[in-house]
Amino acid sequence: MSEPDKALLRKAVARAVAGLTATGRLTIVEVAADGMTVFRIHRDDNGRPRCHYWSSSWGDLTSEQGWEHESSRQAVLRAADPLSADEVVLVCSFPDGAEANRALGWLSEARPATVFPSNGPVIAIVEDVLATDPLSRSYDLVVLRADHASGRLRLGSKQLFPIGTLPGTRAEVAVRCEPGDEYGTAFAVVTWQGREPRLLSVHSARITPGRYLLTAELVRPGKVRFTGVPELTRDPRGWSDLVAAAPSQLPPQAGPAHLICAVEVCGPDAKVEERLSRVRQMVSHLSAELAGLLRVSLVAYGAHSYDVRAGGEHPVEVAAWQVAPERALAALERLEDRGAITEGYPYYPHAAQLEDMLDAVARRLPTSDQVRTVLLTVGDRPPHPARTNRSLILPCPRPHDWRSLVDRVQSRPDTVLAAICDRQDASAHPAWRRLGANALAHLDALDVRGLAADLGLAAPATLPIPFPLLDETE
Amino acid sequence: MQSDPASGPPAHDIAMWGAPGSGKTTLLAALNIALMRRKDDWKIIGSDAASSDYLIERTNALSSGKIFPEASQSLEHYRWTLVGPAERQERRWLRRARPAPPLKIGISMVDAPGGLFSAGPVHTGNGSRVVDDLRQRLMDNLVKSRGLVFLFDPIREFELGDAFDHLHPPLTRLAEKMLEIGELRDGMLPHHVAVCITKFDDPRVLETAEKLHLLDSSPDDEYGFPRVSSEDARDLFRALCEVSASGNADMVVNALDQFFHRTRVEFFVTSSIGFYVRPHTKTFDRNDYQNLLPEAGKELRIRGQVHPINVVEPMLWLGRRLAGGGPR
Repeated sequence: MSEPDKALLRKAVARAVAGLTATGRLTIVEVAADGMTVFRIHRDDNGRPRCHYWSSSWGDLTSEQGWEHESSRQAVLRAADPLSADEVVLVCSFPDGAEANRALGWLSEARPATVFPSNGPVIAIVEDVLATDPLSRSYDLVVLRADHASGRLRLGSKQLFPIGTLPGTRAEVAVRCEPGDEYGTAFAVVTWQGREPRLLSVHSARITPGRYLLTAELVRPGKVRFTGVPELTRDPRGWSDLVAAAPSQLPPQAGPAHLICAVEVCGPDAKVEERLSRVRQMVSHLSAELAGLLRVSLVAYGAHSYDVRAGGEHPVEVAAWQVAPERALAALERLEDRGAITEGYPYYPHAAQLEDMLDAVARRLPTSDQVRTVLLTVGDRPPHPARTNRSLILPCPRPHDWRSLVDRVQSRPDTVLAAICDRQDASAHPAWRRLGANALAHLDALDVRGLAADLGLAAPATLPIPFPLLDETE
Repeated sequence: MQSDPASGPPAHDIAMWGAPGSGKTTLLAALNIALMRRKDDWKIIGSDAASSDYLIERTNALSSGKIFPEASQSLEHYRWTLVGPAERQERRWLRRARPAPPLKIGISMVDAPGGLFSAGPVHTGNGSRVVDDLRQRLMDNLVKSRGLVFLFDPIREFELGDAFDHLHPPLTRLAEKMLEIGELRDGMLPHHVAVCITKFDDPRVLETAEKLHLLDSSPDDEYGFPRVSSEDARDLFRALCEVSASGNADMVVNALDQFFHRTRVEFFVTSSIGFYVRPHTKTFDRNDYQNLLPEAGKELRIRGQVHPINVVEPMLWLGRRLAGGGPR
């Protein structure tokens, strides 16, 4: 095939392919010396051009009756089926052959069309045209869009390649990957048919959580290659499986937080040491999790003294208030060095200044502060009642009412209550169930990470985000 | 009656009776403190050295609040005499009036572990002969006395419910003895009984009385302590019996009614330690009145000053009843 002929044919095929509608059919018939080859081209659900072709020899088409018989003409027309196509391109690569000319005549007669000369196989031209066909639909990456204000996640798409994009084009998208599901994070490409997405391809991999600059390359129509993330493998899931895997809500947001640790520092030395150690674990963990977003308060409380001759009692001690974690840990160290206090005579052995602690916290908490506030109480003794009652626990000397104080703290916006209690749930005073309203853990079986997640101070490790996340601001 | 108050036996005897741990010794010590605070010359004196020492020890402990008197753990028998003020007799003709001898009431208490009259063995470490001896002495006391102070501990009854177990066996034996010596009157025992409902200072007892609207206060009481009058005390007793752990407390009332004339039984709502009063207010505070302070372990100490409530009244009531009825 001379170069002009080849270019002319390629241009005609490319034009015809580009003009294919979603339901259109293009038929290319190549008439050669020994037979003819029919190429049937259409677009699939994703707008990608698909080609089927088959060849028939002249012998097969005319063997029984010969070229003069009507059946041969019918056989040629049946094989090419030019009438069912929206557009027909005829190619003749052996113009001197009688059979070729006869067949070409029958085809032209049935469906008049321009006949392009060719002196080589047409299949190379067709394959080349299909591989370089500009996109007839845009290709989008499936993402989860996060609305941090509401915590909602919406399954959506981010356009990678608009209509008309040519193979070889690259696009970059900044995404955030979180721990995914059993397949890891799925990179799915869809096209749109009206408002309905059509899954083109999906590949996935377990990816270390973090931010990634994803590069997508349009290799050819229907094939997108991703780089910038670890190697992806084909994912067998269908569109409905993927939709089902998408969560609707972000894990509780890990934002600025004020952690108030109230620790009971009376009782056996070992217990006090254990409680302080749990507080240290919690502060250290959240400090790493929230970086500069965490403020910490540390309040120590012991037992009341009811012996007026003993010279007063040890009041609730605010060791640190809304300070950086490092300063709180330094204050905690001082408490650790001091150990248990208010133990033995003249201190009350069966209850602690819980209600005084609540009063100290409630008075210090600003009402206008919108930062998530967590009151974490660590201990096991019950509070003193406001007045003598059947519990036989002596009333608070002040006299504070622990119930109304818990209500006051709990009614603050974005304030949650957590407790680490030494006793089993059944044997603990009802106050501990109130103090652990949002999370109640046992001293000996504390999952610091889980507790932090329960309080909305860190994302729970178990909530998978199986698609790349795209922030609304990005 | 004797002319010399320092010598001779008391004209009347009172026996203290109640389940072990019901507060007999505490009541005695509280009685001593209460008498010392009164200004009418009533006093309690040990009838022997051991009884005096015991009273001193318990009184000091109670007033200091450091050690709470413990429940009886050993077999002991104590005797005291409650000595009243000398009363002037009326002048007759030309004879000069001279003071009448003071009223003397003997108080005896067998301080023994529980089950002294139960069918089973009593573990004292002193052998069965000692137990038999104690039983005999307690019975002799009950037979000889005409006044009984029966202590009913409502908290113990709520938790253990053994008041009837400790009342009925000795009562039956006493009736048997009295019948034997011909001292039953109209089929009843001749004793006067002061039933002391103890631990009025406990919130559970005070709240029960409050719910029944039985609380009263005396305008003469400088602290404004609540009280339950003797007329209402029986109602409180019945209410407290309803929450008995064993459900047998109603039989205590029935047993008292069966064996004693109702007119000879009086109920008193008492507290040996009384209510807590803040030193600077010196007034009863309904919101903060518990006078018992727990210490590490199961020890208890008294929080403030001891203010015995209604501990003298049962003794004096018995004394007056016995004196009014003449010597036995």
